[in-house]
Amino acid sequence: MLFNSYEFLFFFLPITLVGYFFLNRQRLTVASNSWLLFASLFFYGWWNIVYLPLILGSILFNYTIGSLIADTDALKKQVVSKKGIFVFGIVVNVLFLGYFKYMDFFIGNVNALVRTNLPLLHIVLPLGISFFTITQIAFLVDAYEGLVEERKLLNYALFVTFFPHLLAGPILHHKEMMPQFDRTRNKVLNYKNLSLGFFLFFVGLFKKIILADQFSVWAKAGFDTATTLNLLEAWVASLAYTFQLYFDFSGYSDMAIGVGLMFNIRLPINFNSPYKAVNIIDFWKRWHITLSNFITTYLYTPIVRSFRRITFAKSMVAIFIAMFISGLWHGAGWTFIIWGSLHGAALVVNHNWKKLKIRMPTVLAWFITFNFVNMAFVFFRAKNWHDAMKVFRGMFGLSGVTLPRSYAKLPFLADLHVKFSKEWLEAVKGDAHVDTVLWTTLVSFAIILTAWNSNQLTSRFKPCWKSFAFIVIVAFWALFNMSKVSEFLYFQF
Amino acid sequence: MDTMETLNGIFREVFDDPSIILKRETTADDIDEWDSLSHINLVIAVETKFNIRFALGELQTLKNVGEMVDLIEKKIRK
Repeated sequence: MLFNSYEFLFFFLPITLVGYFFLNRQRLTVASNSWLLFASLFFYGWWNIVYLPLILGSILFNYTIGSLIADTDALKKQVVSKKGIFVFGIVVNVLFLGYFKYMDFFIGNVNALVRTNLPLLHIVLPLGISFFTITQIAFLVDAYEGLVEERKLLNYALFVTFFPHLLAGPILHHKEMMPQFDRTRNKVLNYKNLSLGFFLFFVGLFKKIILADQFSVWAKAGFDTATTLNLLEAWVASLAYTFQLYFDFSGYSDMAIGVGLMFNIRLPINFNSPYKAVNIIDFWKRWHITLSNFITTYLYTPIVRSFRRITFAKSMVAIFIAMFISGLWHGAGWTFIIWGSLHGAALVVNHNWKKLKIRMPTVLAWFITFNFVNMAFVFFRAKNWHDAMKVFRGMFGLSGVTLPRSYAKLPFLADLHVKFSKEWLEAVKGDAHVDTVLWTTLVSFAIILTAWNSNQLTSRFKPCWKSFAFIVIVAFWALFNMSKVSEFLYFQF
Repeated sequence: MDTMETLNGIFREVFDDPSIILKRETTADDIDEWDSLSHINLVIAVETKFNIRFALGELQTLKNVGEMVDLIEKKIRK
């Protein structure tokens, strides 16, 4: 089920909320948590019931392994060591994800490399598998290191499946989640949280439906449909995707956090105005924050620790490897690996630059950072190398420059082989008017760079008439445009 | 020497800044050099000095000096 669908908003969400707080009111805590678990599984199964056993299997498996590891006393009598069980658990998770996500990619590469003709398996990626697999890997690591205290199966299953975060994060940590499901204070309907939750939800819905879905049309036209892009078309296409991704994913995160709040469950923030970042290190502190934390904690640190003596050069290697893997985690394709590696390389450059202690003017630093991020996203979006190169050729003016006719009066432009035509944005604008494309892009850029982000809005939120009017406008604007249902970008990862 | 003082010494060394004065409230946001990369170097320096080991799942809570001191003292007592 999607947040941006009528069945979620008018059927699933109200029923789940009412049921949850009704049961809590009767002091039936276990029943209310079970209700929430059932609702979450229903939410997941709505998409395709075939995959329900898969997530249940994964939960039971990891819960069992986690409990075995955490129960050190029981293990002393066992033949198998704690480490053995732990390694087995990790390997099974990696193979599980590997099979569903990377098998076809692997077969395709083998075919290309040794010229065989093995048939692809055409495996459909089960929703959220990348997310629920890595949260559970973290759980196993913590169990192995003795950090798992809370061990109720119901709370564990709820922590993994809780529907606001199940499909695309924020990536949660059991330590901050599981206790929340037991806290008595969280069991009572809290009007402040409820209003704040709806506020955030509608802000996110607006980002998704009004902004992201609009940009997606232009990005699709530029990246997928067009055969060649002139300079401006290529820039519009790449910016359209960069904006789409931000509004889509941060909108999704806002909605997730908002829905969590309605149940008095606090989910961690995931975005903090990433396009305001003035260097790449800064960018990763602001973009998909919960993933950055996960990568530093469970990927980067073990790599660094595995070196005997840690030097600067070795930590650079570790950063690069971590980002390379992060790229691969996003998707089974070389374009994702290139994207991850580019960011890895940029982080290395950034850390080396920091050592020089030379200050760069902030505007220039922002300019370089933003352009790097925007160009790296070309690989992230493009379906293949060919499409990425098409966009880059356009962005660097190698496929020609076409300007609107009104510029034809400027003689020096004609000397530079600039063409003039009424159709200067034809390849990206779809059905929209040229002015709509330009203004939406410019206004969105201004919003991204200057407006308060959702976290700032949240901290300033007061339940008053002004906020109420704001929510109503934003909500209706979004709801009336919710005719077509579009998936969130991060569902494919 | 108490934990806080020792920790202050480690911070000055790792971040190469003799002017650092730690308080319990100090967080990663207060020290420019304290990013996710130097955080790990810091953690490893602390581990070596106190002869303890942090679990991976504890690293995120260590971004605040007060909690770091508490956790170090808890681990030393063990």
